[in-house]
Amino acid sequence: MRPNKFILVLALAFVCNARADLFDRVNDALLFRDAKLQLQVQLSGLVDLETYYLDQPPPGLIFTGNQWLFNPRLSIFLDAQWTRHIYLFVQARVDRGFDPSDEGAEARADEYFLRYTPLDNSRINFQIGKFATVVGNWVPRHLSWENPFINAPLLYENLTGIWDEEAPEDVDDLLYWAHVPNEYGYNNGYIDKYYRLPMIWGPSYATGLAVTGTIDRFDYAAEIKNASLSSRPEYWDATERGFEHPTFSGRAGFRPNEMWNFGVSASGGPYLSAEAAESLPLNRSIGDYRELLLGQDIAFAWHHWQFWAEFYEARFQVPRIGNADIFAYYLEAKYKITPQLFAAVRWNQELFGDVRDGTERVQWGNDTSRVDLAVGYRFTNYLQTKVQYSFTHQDPHEEGQHVAGLQITLKF
Amino acid sequence: MKARVLLCFASLAAISFVRADATIEGLVTLPPPQMGRTLSARYQTTVEAPLTPSNPPSAVVYLEGNFTGAEATAKAPAQMSQKNMLFSPDLVAVRVGGVVEFPNLDDTYHNVFSYSKTKRFDLGRFRKGEKPSTIVFDKPGVVTVHCEIHDRMRGIILVLETPYFTKTDTAGRYRLEHLPAGHYDLKAWINEADVRSVPVDLKDGGTVHVDLPRK
Repeated sequence: MRPNKFILVLALAFVCNARADLFDRVNDALLFRDAKLQLQVQLSGLVDLETYYLDQPPPGLIFTGNQWLFNPRLSIFLDAQWTRHIYLFVQARVDRGFDPSDEGAEARADEYFLRYTPLDNSRINFQIGKFATVVGNWVPRHLSWENPFINAPLLYENLTGIWDEEAPEDVDDLLYWAHVPNEYGYNNGYIDKYYRLPMIWGPSYATGLAVTGTIDRFDYAAEIKNASLSSRPEYWDATERGFEHPTFSGRAGFRPNEMWNFGVSASGGPYLSAEAAESLPLNRSIGDYRELLLGQDIAFAWHHWQFWAEFYEARFQVPRIGNADIFAYYLEAKYKITPQLFAAVRWNQELFGDVRDGTERVQWGNDTSRVDLAVGYRFTNYLQTKVQYSFTHQDPHEEGQHVAGLQITLKF
Repeated sequence: MKARVLLCFASLAAISFVRADATIEGLVTLPPPQMGRTLSARYQTTVEAPLTPSNPPSAVVYLEGNFTGAEATAKAPAQMSQKNMLFSPDLVAVRVGGVVEFPNLDDTYHNVFSYSKTKRFDLGRFRKGEKPSTIVFDKPGVVTVHCEIHDRMRGIILVLETPYFTKTDTAGRYRLEHLPAGHYDLKAWINEADVRSVPVDLKDGGTVHVDLPRK
């Protein structure tokens, strides 16, 4: 970050700290109600200023060749409630790309959905549009104000050897793409980063329909989307990918009391893009190769403690190779040390299964472990800063990878 | 003999302070009540958007002056509960050193906190039925209280140096009794941008009628 940017950030922090009441009034001023109180519209937003210090090549879904990366983001939210039956949500962003990168500025509508609640309770709701997946329990805290960390858990950003735009010719291709060492060494380049897919790409704002509801202590959600959980953001728009090969996902949740929340999720859908069709075996289509996923999630909260965990077993059906399985999980805890200071720790692992290579079986990815440590401070109800350090260890590398990050978030 | 005279004077002084028998009553013009609808949660299956009335409007009326001799009366803790996703009441007044309880009456978690300079605290996640946390407010000022989970919940705790304060009813009527005679400022706190003030002269045994209309 340049000195003038840093001074600007400090000045902003000072103003926000001194005038917290001003932001209360701004928040009120951005709430519109009609005279009959049928319609209520709230405009709000987040300004994120984040900077990273990275080892190269950068890990996960960070796209830069530099050691330092400054990644600002403006997110504008519109929540509109028409009676208790209709709810509209829009999230628009201006940033350097959906994931942190050194590209130029771009503006996107990341989420827009309409939810219809036919009854006077929340037993059933219908939702249509472009929205975050119902799978797992990370989505409700993925925005920077709620997320104790700057980044996502490993399984939402660690790149595997699966490509969506081309099918491998053989196991050697898959292992090379997965950066698995073989007798010729291994690929540790950055160039193929744009081709590889994670197990789940971020909150997966794909387009589709969902049915959700809560009955007593049980929650349910089912969705049909135009793209698989691993698909890249470019394919989440309905204009980019239609519903010829839909992905079906769902989650069932149980809350025995306010402290605990348990969930099981499942998802299945083709992960290859239309560009991959030419590289498929004869008479096969992209719809024949799916990403199948099973998940379990737990959340616990009590006084100043919060704890979350997700466990996923995923299977990619890979042309010419068969099933490529991954097991990934993370355990995350947050504790408020003082009213304004919190600390968080997260342990992540992604473990790869074997694929058949002739007569033997070989592991098709590098087992990866990562520890994330974060400390955050809320100056006011509208200004927060977080510092994070992550250490990643991937099997063939003797030395681990370090990432440090700083994020300042202004909420309005 | 000297000691008796001193004791006599001291007693008279104490009696004159205890004999605080003036009364002020009147009407504070309050802002109109507001209705609000809780917005649906963006990423949850629970969709609750009932039309709920906000707390009825009210104001805190207090007498400002030098009351250092006035004893602090031990009072039961004030309460600011969480009910129907609102703080109820959303305006509470306490004297410096006063205690406020925050019971959760909803079937969901609340996380009450304040980052106000007057008092910073965070109760963490509390559920219905748990023994409510109490907070001692030891500095005068305005404390804005929020819920971390429910963004639009907002409450005010007014921490006053004076022992002479009351809350209006929902029509704005108030009555302050057992006040000491003297010259003071009578104030009505509606919100941080609307604090009304009127000078008053109080005499023992007298009742003064003071209205505090909108500015």
